[in-house]
Amino acid sequence: MHLAEHPKVGTVVIKKGAIKSFTSLERIKREVELLSELESDFYPKQHHFNIDVKTKEFEIVEDYIEGKVLREVMGQFKTPKEIFTLFNFLVKGLSVIWDKNIVHRDLKPENIIIRPNGMPCIIDLGIARFLDLESLTKTISPMGPCTPIYAAPEQLANNKNLIDPRTDFFDLGIIALELYLGVHPYDPAYVGNNFSIVENIMQNKYIVESGTVKRDNTIVEFANKTLQIQPYDRYRNYQMLTAFIAKQI
Amino acid sequence: MKVYHQTGFRDKWNIESFRNGVGNGLIFSPINIDADKLFAMDVKLKQSGFLDPQLYLLNEAKGTIDTYPYFPGNLKPDFTTPDLDNSHIQLAQLCVDYQMKNDFHYLIIPSRYYADNPTTYFAQSTDYFVIPFCDYVKENKIQKKVLLSVIVKTIMLSDEVKRNEVLNWITGHQNIDGVYLIFENNFASKQIKDFDYLLNTLKFIKVLKDNQMEVHLGYTNTEALLYSIAMPDSVTVGSYENLRSFGIKRFQDLEKSQMRPPNARLYSAQLLQWIDYEYIQAMKSLMPDYANYFDESEFRPLMFTPEFKWHFAKPEPYKHYFYVFDKQIKKLSPTQEGRIDELKGSIKNALSLFKKIENNILLDDDSDGSHLPTWFNVINAFQKELTK
Repeated sequence: MHLAEHPKVGTVVIKKGAIKSFTSLERIKREVELLSELESDFYPKQHHFNIDVKTKEFEIVEDYIEGKVLREVMGQFKTPKEIFTLFNFLVKGLSVIWDKNIVHRDLKPENIIIRPNGMPCIIDLGIARFLDLESLTKTISPMGPCTPIYAAPEQLANNKNLIDPRTDFFDLGIIALELYLGVHPYDPAYVGNNFSIVENIMQNKYIVESGTVKRDNTIVEFANKTLQIQPYDRYRNYQMLTAFIAKQI
Repeated sequence: MKVYHQTGFRDKWNIESFRNGVGNGLIFSPINIDADKLFAMDVKLKQSGFLDPQLYLLNEAKGTIDTYPYFPGNLKPDFTTPDLDNSHIQLAQLCVDYQMKNDFHYLIIPSRYYADNPTTYFAQSTDYFVIPFCDYVKENKIQKKVLLSVIVKTIMLSDEVKRNEVLNWITGHQNIDGVYLIFENNFASKQIKDFDYLLNTLKFIKVLKDNQMEVHLGYTNTEALLYSIAMPDSVTVGSYENLRSFGIKRFQDLEKSQMRPPNARLYSAQLLQWIDYEYIQAMKSLMPDYANYFDESEFRPLMFTPEFKWHFAKPEPYKHYFYVFDKQIKKLSPTQEGRIDELKGSIKNALSLFKKIENNILLDDDSDGSHLPTWFNVINAFQKELTK
């Protein structure tokens, strides 16, 4: 991935990579098709997509988003009000893809860019599961495509039938708690056990306070609802999620 | 909480009762009423109710169901599951169109019935019914609320994996407003006396309500009172037992099978039970105050005259039940806590009344209060769940 100057649109990001298999090619193509359709400030605009069959490489040119990834500016979102204000925008952005029956499936602080005006931009839809299309994840894979420490239990178990917007709600729950606590809520060092983060996710073991950070009832309520093992125990849809968030800001 | 009439054979009793202000609407049954006849029916009767499409068995042309445009056999003779691959969109359109033309209050997405659901059941149901229905509703900008019909098998309540699967499936549909839930009833007794089954049913309803879905319970008998503590949106009243307890036999053409006529029974809101008329005759001769055990209605005086011939084809016991049960449901507290307290009180009262009766008359276990201790215990267990 590198930056370049586009004669018409200014600074762009050029993403290049190897096409490892037909599956990854399909996934990349879907990301590109989706991004080129989206007219939303919550996502980078796509300008160009090319596949070199000879070298088995792909090339994507998309808008460069000025700002910093959430990971770098987590300190700006510490209080429940700051967190829920950010989430209010994030959910608004995500609802654009949820309405198209698409699940992001890889929400994490590295995939959210905070623009200089404070607005989030969501990147890396590459592993989004397009619910309307044939599933790309092989059923025999032990784990679905995801970043394991930000994945919902159904992703970790590669239970494809259960992937829907509620999967993204789970990821948001982890991010919210991490912002509030300053540490990963499933980190065994803080949970106080010898399991891995992934094992703690599967066993629903997480913390809601840490060190000097005392529990906050609204954050706990949000986490307890989004971080449920069974999707039916989470918010059913983004309208319910939005309603809760709106009450906190 | 609303009360719908689960209509079927002798639906005119339900319609007459509804016209007299009993119940909130009618659930129409295609196997019992011709499509054109239903279409010609007063629209006011339809606007407050809904149609159960009854696509449980694709190939079974029981009663008048083949008069409905969406009946699969009308799309292709000997329609089978593989035909759904090519016909599911057309079927959904015809089914929605028919429901829209009749102006029912809700649009119902049908469901299929299997004795044992195949592993692909939910994926198939999504592809063949939920998606084409919701797409058609969206394309046509239909504003009516959409309910998904779901047959809940006993194993879906008792087995945690199956329960999670069905609950995740139901709640995963973003474009539906609620469910028309039908609990399959395989119990031999007239009342359900299985503690786990009843408690799991309450928990199942609660999950759906927690998901802010409308929950309409079909084919309920007196246990509707118990289910009311999970705060569903509606329950049903039905005349014959096959309308108060779901079994697939009702939708199968079993011409050669022998049907045993039911014994006439009378519902008592105080006893929370249906009493066989033979026991009522015994009570009459042994208990001077026997009539006090039964509720007042315009039908009661006639039924308690010496000339009244108790028979399952007589409308009075059923119309009496519709009236009394509807009133009983409507009197329930609007709050969950209030309902729990009231129902526990009603159960204790019923048990003490049964004691008085059984000082004079012995009842069999389909007419006695043997289901009530289970109900009471289920309520306590559910109450404990609520505080978790």
